[in-house]
Amino acid sequence: MIMGLNYIVAMLLIAAGIYCLLFKRNLLKLVIGLAVMTDGIHLFLISMGYRLGGIVPIFSSEVAPSLSEFAARAVDPLPQALVLTSIVINICITALALSLCIYAYRHYGTLDTTKIRRLKE
Amino acid sequence: MIPHAPILVIVLPLFTAFVMPLIGIIAERYHIKYLRELIAIGVMIVVLILAGTIAQEVWNGEVIVYELGGWSPPWGIVLAIDALSTQMALMIAGLGTLVMIYSASYMSRDSGLSYFYTLMLLVISGMMGIVLTGDFFNFYVFLEIMSISSYALVSFRRDALSIEAGIKYLIIGSLGTSFVLLSVVMLYGVVGTLNIADLGAKLATYGGTNVPSVLVLSLALFVTGVMIKVAMVPFHTWLPDAFTAAPTAISALLAGPAAVVGIYWVARLPYLPFGMPVGLILVSLGLISMVVGVLMALMQRDFKRMLAYHVISQKGYMVLGIGLGTLGATLGTQGGLFHLLNHSTYKALLFMCAGAVLYQTKSQKFDELGGLGKNMPITALTFLIGALAISGIPPLNGFVSKYIIYLAGFQAGMPWITAIAVVVSGLTLASFMKAFSSVFLGQRPQHLQGTREAPKPMLFSMIVMALICVAIGLLPALGFNIIGPAAEAAKNTSSYISHVLGGT
Repeated sequence: MIMGLNYIVAMLLIAAGIYCLLFKRNLLKLVIGLAVMTDGIHLFLISMGYRLGGIVPIFSSEVAPSLSEFAARAVDPLPQALVLTSIVINICITALALSLCIYAYRHYGTLDTTKIRRLKE
Repeated sequence: MIPHAPILVIVLPLFTAFVMPLIGIIAERYHIKYLRELIAIGVMIVVLILAGTIAQEVWNGEVIVYELGGWSPPWGIVLAIDALSTQMALMIAGLGTLVMIYSASYMSRDSGLSYFYTLMLLVISGMMGIVLTGDFFNFYVFLEIMSISSYALVSFRRDALSIEAGIKYLIIGSLGTSFVLLSVVMLYGVVGTLNIADLGAKLATYGGTNVPSVLVLSLALFVTGVMIKVAMVPFHTWLPDAFTAAPTAISALLAGPAAVVGIYWVARLPYLPFGMPVGLILVSLGLISMVVGVLMALMQRDFKRMLAYHVISQKGYMVLGIGLGTLGATLGTQGGLFHLLNHSTYKALLFMCAGAVLYQTKSQKFDELGGLGKNMPITALTFLIGALAISGIPPLNGFVSKYIIYLAGFQAGMPWITAIAVVVSGLTLASFMKAFSSVFLGQRPQHLQGTREAPKPMLFSMIVMALICVAIGLLPALGFNIIGPAAEAAKNTSSYISHVLGGT
């Protein structure tokens, strides 16, 4: 039951992010939408490695007496490594996007995407 | 092959990229001119040589599997290099070197050049990683390295237009890479592996009939993500803006080498056994992009914007070719990959010519230009070679690959595809003749009387590109020596899988 909730929330976050990207006109809201969407993906990814009542995926005799018991109970360490990488990448994207927003505001005096369109003249 | 060459071609540009600001400080303190440029070009030449040594080994029928940290394939991250990756790596290194030489003089009037070369080398490193890696998540990481650096490069000059284009590219591009990430996550959830060879082997056990429906969603997300990066028509809106507003050296880099990356995955994808008709999707997307791209290009009044729409149209040819290849036309894959090789040379050349004109006249609008053929004879000549090559005129390279794609249309039993491709080719010629006459022929405006020929490093890159176009056109065997093994490798997934999983 609780496991299912993770995935539902993750999908809701992704959907909210995509909605934001499609229908919002403010650049900052677009950046927020992007961040919310990737957070949804991260939640999805990290939930996949989790198991209820799991143990730390470091093999030692204190954590689990035998290898088979360890394999049966430990959480999957791979998604944790992946999600860490992905979070760092998305911080880069958000930082770059925000700095571009600052420059856009200096040039155009607005963050409305319908008014930032000199290229199409 | 030099030991560790596969990882060196990725790590060397990556490392130099982050040392570059330091080199910039040294160059400014001791007033050493062109230190940054020379080091960047030097690194690219070393990468090209390393890629060459890898290529020799791969063309002898090997699949090089390089284990990072010594962890064996299904568990550790591996670099797996077959003939397809080799073609891409050689193209990235070769064209990257020429673009680097070009930008040494094209960017000489800008400030903040240390950061420019940092970003350029990061893009190269990311592209190399994408084509050499054998791991899905690793692919995503390199894709982001390449994408983030190219967002920053597009808005490098920070004027109103390039910021606008950069934001557009960033939002659409990040949506695409997020889709790729979600797709990778779903694949891992269902299949439980990230190694591409292992993934292929495990997907094959479904036998193409009993595929879980999550995989369909995963495939759809992946195709959407890759198509955004390739800029096929429904997802193409970022490309004309980005290519128009970016410094021209960047447009050449993104049009030439970076086109490689998306097409590489388009070529790999249909042969991963998802059990879905990817070929039909590719053919229809390719056809739409071809037609829409060329029609939009005919309407443009801006030099670089016109070239950008032709990028979309030409990528349509490649995707079409590769799509036909999966529908029974064995020539299709060859044609698509060959067209990629040719497209990257002549489109980078055309952008360089547009950049040379922009550099000397400060204008890229057709209405403000004219009669420059007398002032810039070499630029005009190389542009003409590129224009004829892209239109598929016989003694040049564009003809060879387009002809193979035409034949593939017949081979797949769909001659109407060939008819459309020929018409698009004619429209391309029309559009380029208009561009050539309005820039290099006709009345020369008063203020352009004193225009001079482009600087020598720019001319050097342009002449080398033009020579490649002519050489492959006259001796298609040169191209086939690279394309033949690559097309074979794209289809022969079982050899790839057995090499990666069997080799220790």
